[in-house]
Amino acid sequence: MWNEFFGLLKKDFRLMLSSKFFLLALGSFVLYSCYINFVYVKLDQGIYPVYLYDPQDTKSITSEYVARVGSREALEAACADRYSVGIDLSEGKPELYLLASGLETADYYRMIWGEAVLNGTADGQAEVIGADNKEMKSRREITAEFLFFELSAVGFLGLASMLFKEKQMGVIRVHGILPVRRSMFIFSKLLLLLVSDLVFAVVLTGVNLGFSYAVEVLPAVLLQAGILSLIMALVGFLCAVRLPDFKQFSLFYLVLAVFVTTPVFLAGQTGIEWGWIIYHPMYHLFAAMKSAYFSMPAKSAPYYLVCFGAVLLLFLLACQTLNREMAKEG
Amino acid sequence: MSGLRYQLKGIRRDRMCILTFLLPVVVGIAVNLLSGVSFQSISETSFGVVRSDAADDMAAWLRQSGTVTEYETLEDLCSAVNDPSTQMIGVIQAGETIRTFISGDELEVNRVIADTLPQIYENRTETLPVKRTLIHTETDNEGLKSLLIAITLVTAMFMGCTFNAMNIISEKEEGIEFINQVLPMTTRSYVVQKILLGFIGGTDSTVVTALICMRIGLAQALPFLLIILLSAYISALIGLFIGIFSNGLMIGIVNIKIVMILFLAPPVFFYLIVPDNAAVFWISYILPSSATFYGIMDLFNRQFAKLWPALAALLAHAVLWSIVYKLVQMRRRP
Repeated sequence: MWNEFFGLLKKDFRLMLSSKFFLLALGSFVLYSCYINFVYVKLDQGIYPVYLYDPQDTKSITSEYVARVGSREALEAACADRYSVGIDLSEGKPELYLLASGLETADYYRMIWGEAVLNGTADGQAEVIGADNKEMKSRREITAEFLFFELSAVGFLGLASMLFKEKQMGVIRVHGILPVRRSMFIFSKLLLLLVSDLVFAVVLTGVNLGFSYAVEVLPAVLLQAGILSLIMALVGFLCAVRLPDFKQFSLFYLVLAVFVTTPVFLAGQTGIEWGWIIYHPMYHLFAAMKSAYFSMPAKSAPYYLVCFGAVLLLFLLACQTLNREMAKEG
Repeated sequence: MSGLRYQLKGIRRDRMCILTFLLPVVVGIAVNLLSGVSFQSISETSFGVVRSDAADDMAAWLRQSGTVTEYETLEDLCSAVNDPSTQMIGVIQAGETIRTFISGDELEVNRVIADTLPQIYENRTETLPVKRTLIHTETDNEGLKSLLIAITLVTAMFMGCTFNAMNIISEKEEGIEFINQVLPMTTRSYVVQKILLGFIGGTDSTVVTALICMRIGLAQALPFLLIILLSAYISALIGLFIGIFSNGLMIGIVNIKIVMILFLAPPVFFYLIVPDNAAVFWISYILPSSATFYGIMDLFNRQFAKLWPALAALLAHAVLWSIVYKLVQMRRRP
């Protein structure tokens, strides 16, 4: 029995190699890492810049937030971005000049901010209570996001492309008469995908978080990655067996990527308050992945029970679908 | 023309093709349904206070500058401030003044606000003789929502690329390509037929999406239509390129994925980060989708004068890629 299983494993591994699965994973890894290291960690939003037009040099403001301009036109041009605040001291009474940003509260704050800078009262230090700085937070956040996306969308595609190739070659039909248990057929694919997903998770986390941080979070991350990988691979398997060709499948994939993952990212990343998001099953998987990256308290037992139940149910369904498909093929 | 009829017939059977074009429309409807309010709250500064401790005048003062969320206990407030997905600033009353605290991972704008807020609060009653000029400019830009709509529109325009590529690759796999080569059909009519399909589909789905999501005046209709037509043409052409260079569905999908990421991510990034007179911004016109994206955002911002560079860039792309395609064809068929 073990010999047969290893045979299956070897065959699936070769199939993965020939369908360029690993090349795809490597490409994604390079793309993600470049984006994280060269773009994402550098993103920031500065405080509202204050532009001062003071031809008579009446005020001696030396605040770091102030930039001087030479004319009223330059002041207006600098404020055209609807973000900056302009101060015109050319006449007796100081004038705050700003373009509305479309948000009343932000406009109000920009006005009092301009006045505070003008009066030199913009100073102080807030208490910091968190452990992460901005860069580390960005790294954890975006790595969690990419790993989630890679596992939920790309791993799903990899399994399907493998299975469609087998379908084309008639492997499913041949399996009907082989003395191998049907569950083994699914199990060998699952195992390979799980291992490759876990390796991907380790490498992605190690490179983008730095190895010392990665060691801390990896146990929790690998647990979540394993759950996600199993669920998505089984869903991919089910769809691939049921859908007639790869084109139909890739459409399904597109729908999954747009409607399933986008709301999850929006809710998880931006703090938008959507009550209905808790009914979105993927949201919980994403939240668990994110809290693993931030070393926040792990999910409770019911969550794991539900995950385990889902994996078991999907596995049974996959077995049944495969049986039916083999019966159909004769 | 009869060739085109057969192509259309083929599409009608292919649910995938039809749905590819419907997808942006559906996304457009979804974005439109999401109320502007839930998006607006993201871009506001958010303050958190403890209910028992917050004096009414402090909360009222904070509410003028952002959203205020009340928490029952200090621990709740601290965990909300520490939550990595929020940018919340914790504010507590300390006698006549206030104290602020942050988690330390906020954007610079929120960090500076938190640092300076106590002093601004202390001086809130000192009114100085300052003239405030707040100019309301006309704009349809609703921040994140507009951005999402623009991304959807660009995706819709570049769906023609996906469609054409998939179409050609599946013809390759089914062996129709060889049949095409022996048919008495000129390369020109083959290319015209193929481009026309993706072009019509991309244009239609963009127009429908735009009708759902945008309010466009008559004066802007012509430049907007030009943007759509040029972008859809370019994307259909790029689809042909992908079709030529991919030898299997899987490789085709990888190529499409790379092209889509290349087309969507840099324009958004350049638009948000780089000032529009910098040299780098002009370099970003190398990607045709940048021109499309900037054009749509200019429409939202009602800066119609800026539309012309975008249109010129798109025209240049259309001509350039047509020539490149011709050269590639000539090399493939000596």
